[in-house]
Amino acid sequence: MSPAAGLRSARPEVAEPVTVAVIGTGAIGRDLVSKIDRSPALDCRLVAGRNPESAGLRYAESLGLATTAGGIEAVLSAPRPFDVVFDATSAASHRDHWPLLEPLGTLVIDLTPSKVGQMVAPTVTGVSPATGRNVNLISCGGQASVPVVHALAAHFPVTYFEVVSTVASDVAGRATRLNLDEYVATTGNAVTAFSGVTDVKAILNISPAVPPATFRTAIHARTAGADPVAVRAVVDRAAEQVRSFAPGYEVIACTAVDDLVTITLQVTAHSDVLPPYAGNLDIINSAAVMVAEQYATRPDRACRTGVTS
Amino acid sequence: MKHNGPGKPVVIHDPTLRDGQHAVRHQLGLTALSRYARAADAARVPVVEVGHGNGLGASSLQVGQAAVSDDEMLSTVREALGHSRMGVFMLPGWGTCDDLRRAIAHGVDVFRIGVHATEASLAERHLGFLRDAGAEAHCLLMMSHMASPGELAEQAARAVGYGAQGVGIMDSAGHFLPADVTARIGAIVEAVGTVPVAFHGHDNLGMAVANSVAAADAGALIIDGCARGFGAGAGNTQLEVLVPVLERSGYATGIDLYALLDAAELAERELMPAPPVTASMSIVSGLAGVFSGFKHRVVELSAAAGVDPRDVFFELGRRQAIAGQEDLIVDVVAELGSRRPTADDGS
Repeated sequence: MSPAAGLRSARPEVAEPVTVAVIGTGAIGRDLVSKIDRSPALDCRLVAGRNPESAGLRYAESLGLATTAGGIEAVLSAPRPFDVVFDATSAASHRDHWPLLEPLGTLVIDLTPSKVGQMVAPTVTGVSPATGRNVNLISCGGQASVPVVHALAAHFPVTYFEVVSTVASDVAGRATRLNLDEYVATTGNAVTAFSGVTDVKAILNISPAVPPATFRTAIHARTAGADPVAVRAVVDRAAEQVRSFAPGYEVIACTAVDDLVTITLQVTAHSDVLPPYAGNLDIINSAAVMVAEQYATRPDRACRTGVTS
Repeated sequence: MKHNGPGKPVVIHDPTLRDGQHAVRHQLGLTALSRYARAADAARVPVVEVGHGNGLGASSLQVGQAAVSDDEMLSTVREALGHSRMGVFMLPGWGTCDDLRRAIAHGVDVFRIGVHATEASLAERHLGFLRDAGAEAHCLLMMSHMASPGELAEQAARAVGYGAQGVGIMDSAGHFLPADVTARIGAIVEAVGTVPVAFHGHDNLGMAVANSVAAADAGALIIDGCARGFGAGAGNTQLEVLVPVLERSGYATGIDLYALLDAAELAERELMPAPPVTASMSIVSGLAGVFSGFKHRVVELSAAAGVDPRDVFFELGRRQAIAGQEDLIVDVVAELGSRRPTADDGS
């Protein structure tokens, strides 16, 4: 069974929702809260930010959710540890948060490019981490590119991968801007980890174009004598699997000329709170929510809930 | 060269060995780098900038792989410079602090962090890193025709807040007329006070030298120029014209004119197949406000698809494409190609 085949099964089997907290109220946190709120498997008990005036906290309040400007401390001081904590802050903050959360036995789902936890790209790794309680969602460019580089490397002798993503300026918040180096390192690291190709390069453009540029990722691959039709088939198959959780994921262009394969992917957002061009946030958050939903069905988790409730 | 009085000092910044790379697809070899750097040094050009056209860490299939590595370029040019300071350029999202760290180890004197005109916050991390490392860091706002004087002034002030010791604007598309430059440099100078302000011109509309003089008159203290205008498309401000024109206008560059003219001749012989000319496509990209570096790719892909590259440039301008979004060219060419009437249409 391919990892993607089991992706849809999470929700129906849920008996009791898992308790969830979200740290970070920027663009990622806000969409995450809306997706969690829609999920019958997840019960969002706290949204924690730093700035009491932030639009993200106000949005969470409008959904009737408990909020705090007390940040990680408020999450730690909850009377009962949350089953799942989503970290949508920054790579540096996550490195501080993890040692504090680890002793609580919480599943931590990290949306920053911190490289701390086990990397998940749903269609490649599945969404049920085999070990550890820290799951890392790599990066938006990682979520978009890993399924395709993984598939290409499995079928063609690729010697070099390059992954160039473009994100609209108004959905790149301060943490993203401060974490460009981590983005580049983490995305490149994921491309290598899931393709086996060591010579890789990751690039991120923040585009201020008006109207805003839809999130896209161009993948360049050096590989000898690839047949364009065969390449297209492999890429389309990978894209179809990704659409099972990110319906706006599309192959825009796919060419193979001489030893150079170029694939352009575009992701439009299907979200209550995001504009359609913010596919970067949609794909990473959809993947993160699936990890939590899958966790909600795990027997070991159910056991634990039985004790605490 | 003789001129009256001491003149107001301006610092000439020479990115021939960095921005010029766009004109030769980043293929300058070590001998060429070394020989031009020596010639510029002999002319007492204050800053010689070197690297891949898009800066540190940018060698890629997306914008072109360089003939030699950043490390090789930096060590070669460092060795060639005795008087001139060595500069580098870096785009956040392309290069990282690791690249900056290596450049510091190579003895780079002046770092320029380039960001799109409205995106100074992308440079916060790297300007802070350089400030903490004790390096001289400037922030350059690219595609500055896409932002108003007030917006540029605000972005420049923000960059100073992040630690920039110099700020400036690039007319990346060669779109400005002198009055545009006067307004923008004036607003920035007013916003950042004593912090030196830089201007980097492109010559698509034949205005680069005039724009540079307008920048100096409006208070810019750093002016960029490249030998023979070496650069993408119509090229940059032509250095060996810029310097004597600034001197005649009452500015002091400290540059030896004859040695500068020699350096320009060497550049023409050894760096480029031919000096840039203001070809049709450069005029169109300047008018459209599109980054000149897109030219090769636009011409190539348009020819293959049988579409008019001028239409491609105006469409890219309409979409406000910025440097780094070279993959958009493929889309635009495909879209225009599909709209093109075929013989069967009878149109």
